[in-house]
Amino acid sequence: MEGMALENHQLDTSIEIITPENVSFRYHVAGPFRRLPAYLIDCVLQIVIWVASSLLLAFVFGMAGLPSLGMGFSLAFLFVLSWFYGGLFETYWNGQTPGKRLMSVRVISTDGQPINGLQAVLRNFLRAIDAQPFFLFQVGLFSSMMNDRFQRLGDLASGTMVIVEEREWFRGIIRIDEPEVARLAQRIPPSFQATPSLAKALAAYVQRRMAFPVMRRIEVARHLAEPLIRRFGLPEGINPDHLLCAVYQRAFITDAPVDVERPANPFQHSLPAQAPLPTTGGDNPFAGLRGMERSEV
Amino acid sequence: MKVSELLQARRKDWDELETLCVQFEGKSSARQMPATLTRFAALYRSLCADLALAEAYQFPPEVTRYLHRLVGRAHNQLYRSREFTVSTWARTLLFDVPQRLFNDAYLRLAFVIFWGAFFLSAVLATSQPGFSETVLGAEQMQMMEEMYSSPISSLDSEARGFMLGFYIYNNAGIGLRCFAFGLVYGIGGILVTFYNAVTLGTVFGHMSTLKQWDNFSEFVTAHGPFELTAIVLSAAAGMRMGFALINTGGMRRIAALQRAAVEATPVACVGMLLFIMAALIEAYVSPAPVPYSYKAGVAVLSAGLLMFYFVGLGIPREERQ
Repeated sequence: MEGMALENHQLDTSIEIITPENVSFRYHVAGPFRRLPAYLIDCVLQIVIWVASSLLLAFVFGMAGLPSLGMGFSLAFLFVLSWFYGGLFETYWNGQTPGKRLMSVRVISTDGQPINGLQAVLRNFLRAIDAQPFFLFQVGLFSSMMNDRFQRLGDLASGTMVIVEEREWFRGIIRIDEPEVARLAQRIPPSFQATPSLAKALAAYVQRRMAFPVMRRIEVARHLAEPLIRRFGLPEGINPDHLLCAVYQRAFITDAPVDVERPANPFQHSLPAQAPLPTTGGDNPFAGLRGMERSEV
Repeated sequence: MKVSELLQARRKDWDELETLCVQFEGKSSARQMPATLTRFAALYRSLCADLALAEAYQFPPEVTRYLHRLVGRAHNQLYRSREFTVSTWARTLLFDVPQRLFNDAYLRLAFVIFWGAFFLSAVLATSQPGFSETVLGAEQMQMMEEMYSSPISSLDSEARGFMLGFYIYNNAGIGLRCFAFGLVYGIGGILVTFYNAVTLGTVFGHMSTLKQWDNFSEFVTAHGPFELTAIVLSAAAGMRMGFALINTGGMRRIAALQRAAVEATPVACVGMLLFIMAALIEAYVSPAPVPYSYKAGVAVLSAGLLMFYFVGLGIPREERQ
């Protein structure tokens, strides 16, 4: 518990976990709109399993001439199913039930470790109180609203949380094929290095620009592009959208051009004399473009 | 090196890890080839390094998000839930639980509440004319009286299998619910215990005034010790959780609750096992057409087993090194 870095000002649903490899990574905790469908799927499955097994037991024990015992076993099985379905699945399926697997959620300990059998059984026993009143789950809903990890009472008592475990296909980084952008990228000074915050803003812009019409792109891009145009000493009237794409291209995809015949670069003359130019593709990612942070918002 | 080149270079490893994740999700890591496991661990560690790099050097957010997801996924396959082992649970149920219960204040509290309310309502049911009807309702009283009006030996032996299932489903379910309700600051547990005690006590008191008493007492003798102990145990386990929220022992409330819950769950499981044993007796011994002394013998035997469990195994002893 204590090892978890959980900030009080957390606004979204991400939770940070520190792995034994000493790397921290983020999970999204699963809210009620993911967990309810998972629970309903499990309920349907429980009913199907119970009906199927009851029919089978009725048949087998009916043939043996003990119909009453068959019904007895089916009721005893109903007890096991309703109290241990979740606990057993979560133990042997590494924190998932069939419903949870379909909804891509998983139960883990709050410290990021997998849950053990005791935690799995306990959190499922305590569903009896979370489901109050009358299986409306108001207690569980209220409890999960009151903490950062959407934990119902069963989760709080067993020290578990439910996280989203989604697969994501890696599509690589976005590339821009427009020839104007490639041309413009050549004109950006070779000494240019994007600061972390600039890089982040560029990536966010490029990721979303296709959703905007052209005029809107210009409007959005202008705020960041105008100071950049002045800084690079580029002529006025360059399309701000293309400029940001070009800067993105240079920050993430291509190196600075090495040809000597590029147009004269006024930016180099305007640099303060005491600042040594970082070499292209140098080690320091934080070098270059100081003073840009203000205009990035 | 530019981000795009780095991604190009690392891409192959990520794809391989992703394929292995799919493979591990189908078949747990415990059953993988050692070479695959080593490869998985190596890929996972290098992925962790990539994630750290991506965070430090501000890769595009979609790349970072992908890496976070993949680390999470691989992490969950590498570190898996520990499954039940028979020896651990046997040790917990036979050694830890009785040792803990021997000095358990909540067990005593549940015991006092249950038996106090039980005897009080039994006495009231015998001495106060209207009491039983207020508690049980006329309909249920009628039903009880009819149920025990014929001798036990004439009971339909066909229905026993069904009754076994019903007793397990119903009684053990009540026990676990009583445990879960204890979480509400112990009040839930007290209320449920009190309710059960008053109902049962009234039934006992009321039946003792009727001519059906012989049939009734013959029926309840055999399974009584297990069942009544199970009720008290379930309630005590629930109270242990609930009162941990009040008497935190200097810890944060949630931490106190978690510690108490870990201790209380095996107790609730013992309660459940007692309910199941009681159900077996209730279905097959209690209604059996055998002399009363046999049933009394079963009761004495089960009470002796309980004494052995709570006192024999529970008496404090020094931990063996």
